[in-house]
Amino acid sequence: MRSQNLRHNKSETATLTWSIHLKRFYSRNIKRSLPLYIMFLPIIIYYTIFRYLPIGGLIIAFKDYRIMDGIMGSAWVGFDNFIKLFSNPYCLKVLYNTVFLRLLSIIIGFPVPIILAIMINEIKKKWFKTSVQTLIYLPYFLSWVIVAGMVVSIFGQGNGSILNHYIKMFTGYTIPFLNTPKSWIMIFVGAGIWKDSGFNTILFLSALTTIDPTLYESAAMDGAGKFKQIWHITLPGITSTIIVVLILSLGRVMQMGFDQIYMLQNAAVNDVADVVVTYIFRVGIQQGNYSLTSAMSLLESLIAFIFIFTSNKIARRFGESLW
Amino acid sequence: MKANRDEKIFSAICHVFVTMAAISCLIPLMNLFSISISGAEAVVSGKVSIFPVQLSFESYKTLFKISPVIRAFRNSLFLTVVGVFLNIAFSVLAAYPLSRPYFKGRAFLSKFIVFTMLISGGILPNFILMKSLGLINSYGSIWLITLISTYNVLIMKSFFQNIPNELSEAACVDGCGEFRLLIKIILPLSKALLATITLFYMVANWNEFLNTLMFIGDPKKYTMTVVVQEMIRNSSMLSDAAFMDPETAKNMTGEGIQAAGIFVMMVPMLCAYPFLQRYFVKGVMLGSIKG
Repeated sequence: MRSQNLRHNKSETATLTWSIHLKRFYSRNIKRSLPLYIMFLPIIIYYTIFRYLPIGGLIIAFKDYRIMDGIMGSAWVGFDNFIKLFSNPYCLKVLYNTVFLRLLSIIIGFPVPIILAIMINEIKKKWFKTSVQTLIYLPYFLSWVIVAGMVVSIFGQGNGSILNHYIKMFTGYTIPFLNTPKSWIMIFVGAGIWKDSGFNTILFLSALTTIDPTLYESAAMDGAGKFKQIWHITLPGITSTIIVVLILSLGRVMQMGFDQIYMLQNAAVNDVADVVVTYIFRVGIQQGNYSLTSAMSLLESLIAFIFIFTSNKIARRFGESLW
Repeated sequence: MKANRDEKIFSAICHVFVTMAAISCLIPLMNLFSISISGAEAVVSGKVSIFPVQLSFESYKTLFKISPVIRAFRNSLFLTVVGVFLNIAFSVLAAYPLSRPYFKGRAFLSKFIVFTMLISGGILPNFILMKSLGLINSYGSIWLITLISTYNVLIMKSFFQNIPNELSEAACVDGCGEFRLLIKIILPLSKALLATITLFYMVANWNEFLNTLMFIGDPKKYTMTVVVQEMIRNSSMLSDAAFMDPETAKNMTGEGIQAAGIFVMMVPMLCAYPFLQRYFVKGVMLGSIKG
């Protein structure tokens, strides 16, 4: 009798403390966050439908996707699409072009904002500095449509194009810069640098302001020349910014901006200028070959992922990392 | 002595190089502008490089007459204004909760959204998704796809975090809700940030191209980017259209109309740029703070 009572009491206290804990947990943690959850709910729904669902949609790379059957109803085909992809030399070429153009853009374009920032930092006259910065940041705001128009107007063979006008004046004929693969690649990379350097220049300029100016004074007193100062003070001072920017751009190695490539490419240079995103657009979206192109898309994501992970690993060695 | 001379040489090199870089940003603009307002004969004979020759506005007149530029301009404006409004509203809704230290699960939810910066499905699944939602040919598809830029959310989040906590706590002593706190205290303190983010979204919306190309098939709904791009691609077609009327043909070139179209598209950016440049610099620097 007594023991039964005791046991009963025990379980009662147990339930009691449990509900108290729950209540306390609720009032301490959830209650205050509840309005925030309500606020954030649309965001979760948005990211699930418009960011995560499309990633899941790449599952059609393993299927024979037919619009009638839907993603779920289409038949599984295993790695058929990948086998098709790898046995098609044109697909491999497209993948190669993507990596090649991106890496080339990064390797050539990466030092430009650093050099620009160091040089702008050297300018003492305020009005000159601001007007130079104003002009250098401007291209970032222009759409690729506009930049492509400028490229055609400068390097093209039409009546208005500046460069060929002068070449014709001296030699009597025009040079098809935009229709020759080698010069096209150079123009492509150059246009990218022209448009995007301003953005990173801002980053490096702000990193430069954090360097202690007394370091330069003492270095100058020790007789260090300008180039030695840059090598031993300026560059080490902005190394962490350099590394972060480099990782970010390596991480985007597969994310070739569609606008840039689509607007600059032309039939004559298709051999070097057709990249994953334009291929997917043409063969996937316009011609409706969904499964093959989503296999390519998946492969692209995979390569991008490897690039991000490796570059982050390298960055960790320098004591920097993105996550 | 030597160090001093070094310094002077270096400074001179810097000035020359930086000036060249700045001029290289200016010349293409002046070239286009000059072509657009020069006479046809001067353009054809290649006399126009940086400065206009034989001032003439025929290119603009023809442009407005033969191409749907005015309608496209209106479409772009509509797309941008509504788009930016939606962008800002939803970015705030995403950034504010993540900036509150007492928001349970914020670490996980931050990762939940940051992960999408690292990996994405690409354009194809987006297209299939919009097709199955029946949003093809509607601006809704563009607004939805570009609704939130995770990068901008991270900038906003780190800015909200740096607003002193005392301010919001003082306001919340008499127990105001999170929504009121956000609207009455946090947002008024973030005007500079909102200007910056608005600028980023504005540029992105105005220059939006790929999604319009993918989702919008109705030529009546084309935006500036698509219309101008078509003009550049088919410049010969453009001059054919102009040459239908022999009277106009005399004063017209395809290049001129094309340049005029590009310039019309550039006008809003060029007007806004001087006022917004300092916000742009601020925003880029905010973004460099790891969130």
